[in-house]
Amino acid sequence: MSELKSTTGQVQVGEKSYQMPPQDGFTIAYFITVSDIERSLRFYEKVFGGDVASRGDSKGAPGYIQIANAWLIVNVGGGPTPDKPTVILSVPPDPDKVTSFMNFRVADIQACYKLWRSRGAEFITEPKKKYGETRCYIRDPDGYIIEVGQSDPGVTYG
Amino acid sequence: MSQVRVDDKTYQMPPQDGFTVAQFITVADVERSARFYEKVFGGRILTTGNSEGAPGFIQIANTWLIVYFGGGPTPDKPTVTLSVPADPDSVSSFMNIRVADIHACYELWRSRGAEFLTEPKDKHGETRCYIRDPDGYIIEVGQSKPGFAYG
Repeated sequence: MSELKSTTGQVQVGEKSYQMPPQDGFTIAYFITVSDIERSLRFYEKVFGGDVASRGDSKGAPGYIQIANAWLIVNVGGGPTPDKPTVILSVPPDPDKVTSFMNFRVADIQACYKLWRSRGAEFITEPKKKYGETRCYIRDPDGYIIEVGQSDPGVTYG
Repeated sequence: MSQVRVDDKTYQMPPQDGFTVAQFITVADVERSARFYEKVFGGRILTTGNSEGAPGFIQIANTWLIVYFGGGPTPDKPTVTLSVPADPDSVSSFMNIRVADIHACYELWRSRGAEFLTEPKDKHGETRCYIRDPDGYIIEVGQSKPGFAYG
């Protein structure tokens, strides 16, 4: 079975497993609007070894891909819909103006940089040192940035 | 360090091997965002960061949310600028919380201060509603219908 615990906190959260869809509680995914569901699924499958759980359909079901501890949900844009009457979804109109992104924290950034590049990932730069970490960014097929970062030894979160 | 287990694999932050996936959002106030995700979703604040560039980390369910101020460009993304949403109604990506009981989550999270755009609404394959976080990000809350593995 599964567990969720921390060596930092005093709180011990008992045995908990995460599934998609969840059988109890909740499981967190990340949604990106894409121009081509199949292209995006193949990219995340090939580069990161993601596991495609659903390829979606033409009735509006999105694609689901499990990547490490998370799920990525991809679908085409549109809207508004009755449950978000003012919101429109689209691929990034300007890929250089960013508010949120997936952040891949890695144990060995040089190894990930080489491996993911060999699988077709386009990195903006090679890994660069900064305060507390070494970092670089990938552009996905729709122009989303994906941060790839390794914390320096001794830095717990950075 | 904190960790979660998905399937038969344990994921840690920071990871000891492989990689662990988090989500980053640019925020106006790190402390305010950390408190929001803690209070509404029961997230655990691991750090609220510092002014030298360390972001806030909040563990929520199977993932980690990383929150920090905007800025840039930086040497590792020389053309990219980070900011809070300029227009909260024009959206490309968002956190998507899949739940087992959407009506229970709607009532609970609302009672804790979450602002929902609408009550849960039925659509093909799922029931769905959206929260606005303090910076205007939408958070999808969705429950797949029986028989739909993926809504």
